[in-house]
Amino acid sequence: MTVSSQVKQTLATLKGAQSTLKIYATQTQNEETKLVYEEAVEKTADIIRDLEKRVQILEFQEPQYKGF
Amino acid sequence: MKDWIEILLRSAALFIVSLIAIRIMGKKHPAKMTPFHFVNYIVIAIIASLISVRVITNLTFGFIALGVWIILALALDYLSLKSKWVHDWINGKETILIKQGKVMEENLSQVRLTGEELLRELRSKNIFNLADVEFAVMESTGDINILLKSDKKPVTPYDLGKKVAPQSETQTVILDGNVLNEPLSTLGLNRQWLNMQLENMGISLDNVFIGQVDSSGDLYVDLFDDSIQVPQPKVKEMLYANLEKTQADLMAFALETEDEYAKIMYSHNADKLKKVMESLEPYLLR
Repeated sequence: MTVSSQVKQTLATLKGAQSTLKIYATQTQNEETKLVYEEAVEKTADIIRDLEKRVQILEFQEPQYKGF
Repeated sequence: MKDWIEILLRSAALFIVSLIAIRIMGKKHPAKMTPFHFVNYIVIAIIASLISVRVITNLTFGFIALGVWIILALALDYLSLKSKWVHDWINGKETILIKQGKVMEENLSQVRLTGEELLRELRSKNIFNLADVEFAVMESTGDINILLKSDKKPVTPYDLGKKVAPQSETQTVILDGNVLNEPLSTLGLNRQWLNMQLENMGISLDNVFIGQVDSSGDLYVDLFDDSIQVPQPKVKEMLYANLEKTQADLMAFALETEDEYAKIMYSHNADKLKKVMESLEPYLLR
């Protein structure tokens, strides 16, 4: 596996986790718990943004492996 | 009027009167009543039964007696709500039996409790060692409540310095194969959601005996057919495992990459994710 596909896989896992977090954030009745989930969603969104940028750079470096 | 008709009518009337009276007088459990309340209830019961079987032939006298016992009891209850002095006078005050680990012998004899009886009460609350007791008090109802020494108390998450997720009550949404709408809407869910969850588990509604949704929105079901294995919700554990995997990946990337800028980005994000995991841990793993 190339570096860029590894990063893409991690990115996909993280995106999946983030969507589950979003479901919990909307499902939960308790306000305090909701806040914790929402904060986690925001932080994972930051990480996802960084990783996406990195994927772009990697794709630029290894154009032959471009695309998912 | 024939005798049996009269007894029938009296009994029916008193049945309803006593039912209403006892409902008005409150919902204290008999075992938790003070001795005076207990006597009060018994007197009402006896008067009612005496009128009902015509031992008290004069209806007016009978109902006056009954009324006095009911109304005085209600009045005293009302007064004891309003005034602490009346309350203490009627119900009696609690008596301290053990203070700072020492048995108060005078108080014990005042409530006519022997040492053996005290020990028996302690044992019935799973305390076999008098040395473990810091404080014990006999309530006005005769119950004995005990405070253990702080090092003998059961451990709470607070003692361990652990944070735990707040948990609210679970709602029962399916009973005997029927969907209960009210608890569902309390959680802000609907039938479509429930049908989807059941479909995901691969079970039909008819087969569900009890279905409950916890505060985080996970459905737990018990089936009529116990040979079917239901997949229990493991989404939270999966989620945590996924986050853990991502965090490990990020650390690995940070080590592998030769780009200085990417190295910093990866390790920074790995730390960030670690913090997220720490804050989520009490909610996802417990």
